[in-house]
Amino acid sequence: MAKKEPVLSVTDLKKSFGPVVIVSGFSLTVYPGEAVALTGRNGAGKSTILRCIIGADHPDSGQVLVDSVPVLETDPRIRKSVATVIDDLDFFPDLSVVEHLDLLARAHGIPDSDDAVDEVLREVQLVPQSGQLPGTLSSGQRRRLALATAFVRPRTLLVLDEPEQRLDTEGVEWLTQRLIAERDRGLAIVFASHEPALVERVATKVINLKGAMYESGDEQESA
Amino acid sequence: MSKKARKKATEPQPELKPLATPEPAQYNFFFLPQDIDAQPADERDLHDLMKLWRHGRATKSIWQAISDGYVALFSLVVLGAMVGNVIYEAQGSQAGCESTACLTAKTLLPTATTFACWGLSLAVSGLFGPILASAAEGSWLMAAPVSRRILLRGRLIAPVVLAGVISFAVTCLVGGLSGLSWALAAVAGGGAGVGAAALMALAGAVQSTERTRLIRTVQAACSFAAVAVLALVVCVAAGWLSVPLPEPAQLGIAQVAAMVVGAVGLVAAMGVALRRLDDIRSARLLSGGSLVAGMQGAMFALDFGLVRDILVERNAVKKGYVRSTQGRGLGVMALIWRDFERLFRSPKQFIPLLVSLFVPYAADALGAGQLNPFLSGMALMIAIIPFMGSLRVLSRTGGLARSFPFATTALRTALMAVPTALALVWAAAATPAFVGISSAGVERPVPLAVMASLAVALAGMLAGVRWVTAKKVDFNAPMMATESGAVPPTLIFNIFRGFDVVAVVTAPLILNWGPSWSLGLAALVFVLVRGTFNMDDMKAQSEQLKREQEEAKARTAQPKKRRAPVRTGR
Repeated sequence: MAKKEPVLSVTDLKKSFGPVVIVSGFSLTVYPGEAVALTGRNGAGKSTILRCIIGADHPDSGQVLVDSVPVLETDPRIRKSVATVIDDLDFFPDLSVVEHLDLLARAHGIPDSDDAVDEVLREVQLVPQSGQLPGTLSSGQRRRLALATAFVRPRTLLVLDEPEQRLDTEGVEWLTQRLIAERDRGLAIVFASHEPALVERVATKVINLKGAMYESGDEQESA
Repeated sequence: MSKKARKKATEPQPELKPLATPEPAQYNFFFLPQDIDAQPADERDLHDLMKLWRHGRATKSIWQAISDGYVALFSLVVLGAMVGNVIYEAQGSQAGCESTACLTAKTLLPTATTFACWGLSLAVSGLFGPILASAAEGSWLMAAPVSRRILLRGRLIAPVVLAGVISFAVTCLVGGLSGLSWALAAVAGGGAGVGAAALMALAGAVQSTERTRLIRTVQAACSFAAVAVLALVVCVAAGWLSVPLPEPAQLGIAQVAAMVVGAVGLVAAMGVALRRLDDIRSARLLSGGSLVAGMQGAMFALDFGLVRDILVERNAVKKGYVRSTQGRGLGVMALIWRDFERLFRSPKQFIPLLVSLFVPYAADALGAGQLNPFLSGMALMIAIIPFMGSLRVLSRTGGLARSFPFATTALRTALMAVPTALALVWAAAATPAFVGISSAGVERPVPLAVMASLAVALAGMLAGVRWVTAKKVDFNAPMMATESGAVPPTLIFNIFRGFDVVAVVTAPLILNWGPSWSLGLAALVFVLVRGTFNMDDMKAQSEQLKREQEEAKARTAQPKKRRAPVRTGR
């Protein structure tokens, strides 16, 4: 049996803001079918690691490779492989919910995008809101739309920052089922979460981050 | 684990005791009506109290602030004197001009400005209220059992006065620069000012009824009249139409009549508006207040793009729902198709584009042919920005752009396709203006005029792209030392974004170097604005390279470890 190539490989990542070291010596390898959960209190560095993984932030040192390609946010190869839902997702103010999904599916070259769009729309329970403009959606509905943009397109790595945020109980349960299915189909997932049940059911590996420290400190607490 | 923590962990833990149940707190006051003998609040006292608090927080008097900002004040006075002198000189030279173009401008431009000011006043009133209240006032005062009339009276008077003063100043200035005597210009300004104030008061009077049809109809009529008069100016100046123009003095009489009618209207509308202040819903007042707060924040950072984003978002929320349509094409074609479809979704945005087409004709007809490329490029830039909504959204934050599987250059090029097509149509329609439609303008052979028109259209379009792709001001970047303190460089450069492109691309046309230079510069600007040299990417790549080199250097610099001698035990 051929050895699997890692989808994501993070080596010795370091990121600091001024004198505060957020992450130091962080390494991670994620293979297809693995789901890695980053946990820890606020400010532990979960989002910083995720932003470095997708190229939104540049690490001070270390290397991030996706499918053996160094991560650069604007590289189309990375954009094709990595689907992300982090806090900086924006929407076109004049395109409806369904038009956003249709546009993304088509941009990724899905020929029969209608079926994919309808399915995802049903799944995230935004069918009644399909004609609404994003500005009129509630925060939970916006979150569902953000998740839908990740699921309506091809991907090999899914990066999610607290995906359960603003979702109702039913929504969290749907998300859990969906991520389990994605993982079992061979997708690699890295996510940060504060929801113990989601982490327990989805993650194949949990990394508990302990937090930031000052550069002058004698001990690095990040796990 | 640190030594300290380890020590703490080994120390004997104190025995845990159950927490004592707290004594129930005694509350004797529940704010029930019977608890206090509440007296109705005096609105004037509340207002004075708020004023006192605000003044109490001030750390400087107005004179101290002025003396601290003496450099700014001195610059303002010098600049004001210079601008005043230029205006005075321009009025003097224009007043003596007796050509058809000058006479048309003198007679009709103040009228067009008057209508434009009225339309604009109503547009602004629709956007903000015109009567508004801040979120804090909404929470603390609007919910209190006080009469809103006294609290909101100032909020009605302020926009009415502001509309009047600004309309007066602008129309007076345009009148003076068109060649009217200052007395007649002041009369024209007075008519425009009183009319604008009356219309603003009317908007205040109907705010409580929440029926916007009347205001929107008057606004559309004023805007249409302004464009029609501007078109008349061009047609008469170019000699396409011959209309008996009234004498400036006759126009003055009409303006005085407008002033009288406006004054009567102002008094009546103010009376009604003041009476209805109590009836305006809090939500309606706070909506304008929150818009002002958002725009104030954006203006402090001189982020005009954000100001526009706030307005666009607000309109989208007001609209709420659209009839969704199916996309077409795959890859970048899907993006281009959506942009094309947007043209029909908001046909209103064609109005500024059509109006911008008047500018090259008006500039040529009114004898400003030399500056025509710059003025027309600026007008097109402003008019074409609404067609660059997708480009704006995909530039302002990385999140959505990251979802599309294209490089930034490909993404931007695709999103420039529809605006470029519009600019080309604009160029074709504006070509006669660059050939020269009147004896007062600059005349060019047709091939050169086609090239000049194309260069101006590309300048406007590329300037629009530069404007919408502006990044937020980076307050973490190294600052520039100025008299006003540390200022991020992007704060200054953002003011000139777009204008710089128009100036650079049209400079060869203004300097009579020929349009080929302008087209060459436009090609260069295109390469830059499509993100071919993405500074962020280049920086990231160079950082990555540097890191790898340092790591390699560190590896080679490490002394080779000596292999420990194998102990045989012998």
